[in-house]
Amino acid sequence: MWRQAHHRQRAHFVTMAVALAVGLVCLGHSGWIYTKAFIAQQLIGATWQRVQAGQIDAKPWSWADTRPVAKLTLAHGLRALLVLEGSSGRNLAFGPVHDPASVLPGQLGNSVIEGHRDTHFSALRDLRLGDRVGIELPDGRRASFAVAHLQVVDSRRSRIVLDSEAPRLTLVTCYPFDAIRPGGPLRYVVTADWIGPTPPGRGGSPGDKRGERTSGPTGPT
Amino acid sequence: MAATHFRQHVSWERITNWSGLLILLSLALVWPAAFAVEPGEELPARELRAPELPARVQSGSLLLKSASDAPAVEAMRVHTGFRAEVTGNIARVQVSQQFTNPSDDWVEGLYVFPLSADSAVDELLMHVGERVIRGDIQPRDKARAAYETARSEGRRASLVDQERPNMFTTSVANIAPHSSITVEIAYLETIARRDGRYTLRLPLAITPRYNPGFGTGTDPASPMAARLAHAASSVLGVNVTPERVTSPQQQVSIDIQLAPGFPLQTVESLHHQIATTSDDRAVSEVPAGDSLASRSVRIPSGDSLGRHISLKESDLPADRDFELVWTPAVMPDVQAAVFAEHAGAETYAMLMLTPPQQQSRSVERREVEFIIDTSGSMEGPSIEQARAALQMGVDRLSSGDRFNIIRFSNTASSLYEEPQPVSEASRALASHFIASLRAAGGTEMQPPLELAFATAPTDGLLRQIVFITDGSVGNEAQIISLIRKNIGDARLFTVGIGGSPNAFFLQEAATAGRGSYTYIAEREQVRARMEDLFRKIESPALVDLSVQWPGSAKSELAAPVPGDLYAGDPLVVLARVTGLPAANQALTLSGRTHGIAWVQQIPIVSVTQQAGIAKLWARERIGALVRQRNFGGDAAEAQAAITEISLQHHVVSEFTSLVAVDDSPARPPGVVDRSEQAPTSAPAGSYWANTTGFAKTATAAPLTLLIGLACFAVAALLYFPIYLRPGHARRFGSM
Repeated sequence: MWRQAHHRQRAHFVTMAVALAVGLVCLGHSGWIYTKAFIAQQLIGATWQRVQAGQIDAKPWSWADTRPVAKLTLAHGLRALLVLEGSSGRNLAFGPVHDPASVLPGQLGNSVIEGHRDTHFSALRDLRLGDRVGIELPDGRRASFAVAHLQVVDSRRSRIVLDSEAPRLTLVTCYPFDAIRPGGPLRYVVTADWIGPTPPGRGGSPGDKRGERTSGPTGPT
Repeated sequence: MAATHFRQHVSWERITNWSGLLILLSLALVWPAAFAVEPGEELPARELRAPELPARVQSGSLLLKSASDAPAVEAMRVHTGFRAEVTGNIARVQVSQQFTNPSDDWVEGLYVFPLSADSAVDELLMHVGERVIRGDIQPRDKARAAYETARSEGRRASLVDQERPNMFTTSVANIAPHSSITVEIAYLETIARRDGRYTLRLPLAITPRYNPGFGTGTDPASPMAARLAHAASSVLGVNVTPERVTSPQQQVSIDIQLAPGFPLQTVESLHHQIATTSDDRAVSEVPAGDSLASRSVRIPSGDSLGRHISLKESDLPADRDFELVWTPAVMPDVQAAVFAEHAGAETYAMLMLTPPQQQSRSVERREVEFIIDTSGSMEGPSIEQARAALQMGVDRLSSGDRFNIIRFSNTASSLYEEPQPVSEASRALASHFIASLRAAGGTEMQPPLELAFATAPTDGLLRQIVFITDGSVGNEAQIISLIRKNIGDARLFTVGIGGSPNAFFLQEAATAGRGSYTYIAEREQVRARMEDLFRKIESPALVDLSVQWPGSAKSELAAPVPGDLYAGDPLVVLARVTGLPAANQALTLSGRTHGIAWVQQIPIVSVTQQAGIAKLWARERIGALVRQRNFGGDAAEAQAAITEISLQHHVVSEFTSLVAVDDSPARPPGVVDRSEQAPTSAPAGSYWANTTGFAKTATAAPLTLLIGLACFAVAALLYFPIYLRPGHARRFGSM
């Protein structure tokens, strides 16, 4: 009788310990995601200053395969986000990313920036129509955009059109914002239209680098 | 009392213990999933409705890939090389596909590629180092089983499956890290004179098909679309297409040996810059420049030398179909020939006829319903071409005719309730309507056709339907069947738009509608091609055609002879003939042209067995059997007949595949592999070529946070019954 009870106690204790251990690992993992998202932005911030000082190929850390391409201000009073080039999962862990298939923000065409709904782009849910979104490029030029559309789309059925007749900014994150499980098909898409460069920048009008990408298909030749 | 208490105690403890274990177990199950669905990863399960997924893909790709922070793996590439030999009316084309694996893993490569619907694919060669392994034709399931066995044993293998009549998949197993495997596929195709030209068409890009009810078949960016499509259609009977497209990334090289058998007037490539060499090696370089004219080579007439043609730049993005067009120096009015290939007692014969050119315009009054596709896949240059073509069609109508315009995407609407007489006012309104058309939405072809068939034709008028589309639908059979059921005395003509239209659909729809088809690939061609179409529309050149074989010969035609033959359209009849007399072989073709009887005797010319007429017959016969089945024939019977013909003639069909398997293992045991589908290029200027997909923008942080908290809750739950209940102290105290 006693041996049986003892045995049960032990099993009980082991289960409890395992539950605690798994719980700790899980919390650690999720904490690490948030920490990485925060620290990476700090590191990139330092790099951004070097980039703006003229060191175009500055990297946030020595083995980085990406570079900051823009500074994004979602709303007044919010910390500005540094946008990385290339929409890989790794880059997304460090900051919002610029889709390299699209033009850089402020150029003629649609510039696509994506971010995690749980970290950097959680603030997208607070954007309202007409809100201003600011962009600063490495050369110091700035552009501001006004939110024109808020949409929820199914990523399996939609694509983002890259052509547009004026500079445009598209911000994308996962939807719904409170979902627990990652990997869902829905996306929250914020489209913002260009309303002009704002001083103090070097002034150059956005879109003057349109040569980097032809504005549309080559068409019949 | 104490005993009862104790029993209760035990059961309570048991429950908490068990529930704790259960929760832990379920966590252990959820755990890998939590990591697997991290952002930045390719996750087939997300693009899928769950049951479509074969078990292997599910387990394999979910667990194989490392966590989210692994660097994005460089995508597998497929370099395609075409080597074509055109002899007279037959083209023998070899397609080599080099699968390059730039990653550190062993990879199974999948690639969906287009071919023309009437190409008889009959050969597969796999190059492994110095060795060449020849593929064998087998029933599809057997071929797949042989391939899968080889794949799981680490041996190199390749498999060519037909997914749709003009869409094929190559699978290549066990490509070593940082290496490549080349497979070669060969096919035969007939090249007939159409509208005074010979055209060799090499489809290079795919416009994703739209499946009503499912949107675009699979996600155009789905990493494993090929696998899913087959699983979905074989398990669930769901019509899903296997393509995965991106902006043009894959590269092609093209090399053509042209021996037309007659003096050439021109040789021209419609969309790509080419360099042409005559057989005497005199190079006639195409001058640099970008205009359409600069891509054609004008050759002094009377020159009957063969030509060697290659792309000016050795590698080009595969973003539009390659079309090589050549014209003879002397254009006979009627061209007819019969070629025969002997195989034992049987003879396979191919009859080719180009009917007399139509000079006079008919005076018959017409009622034309134009249907124009304004779905999303038409966006870009396609919709402009479609609008221009439609405008020309309206301009060409004469007073006394009636017309209507129906536009469709996922909805359909028409300009008028029913066809209206042509007048200044109706023309002006039509022009305004045409100018307002924009491309967006899905492709639901049934409603516009139903609209067109809904109104009865006005008495005394010939009802014609002109259907302008890129044909990017997945439910082709359903639409063609609808046309066939409702066509009555009307005629349906298709106008294929864009860089890579679905030629299979356009031709089959025109056949079902007893009309003809034409393609417009570029803006500059709209006028010329629409002229070709108007010539056909305005009256058929030959009707009531029939073929009589000499003597007591019995023939089995691959497909029935079409009832109407339009100006400029070739007639190609493939037949299996027995009992052909040894001498005095000539075939009699009869019909009527403009109410007058028309008869022509054509001598039968014997050719060597390598010509491939038997294979072309087999392919055409398979096409006819598929048509019969789609229009209500017995499916099992059709499958048996198709399988038999394909195995006998060594050609790929929907029920037979080519498989090549290496004997020696390449992948070491214990090393895992993963599958990857190389995306096919979308046509330049199309929606897919100029759009971007979505990244995975959610982290697993909330999920792991929740799981962590749940674990703590379980621990607490376990803690309480032991240490906090009153019985605890007493029991342990008495120990």
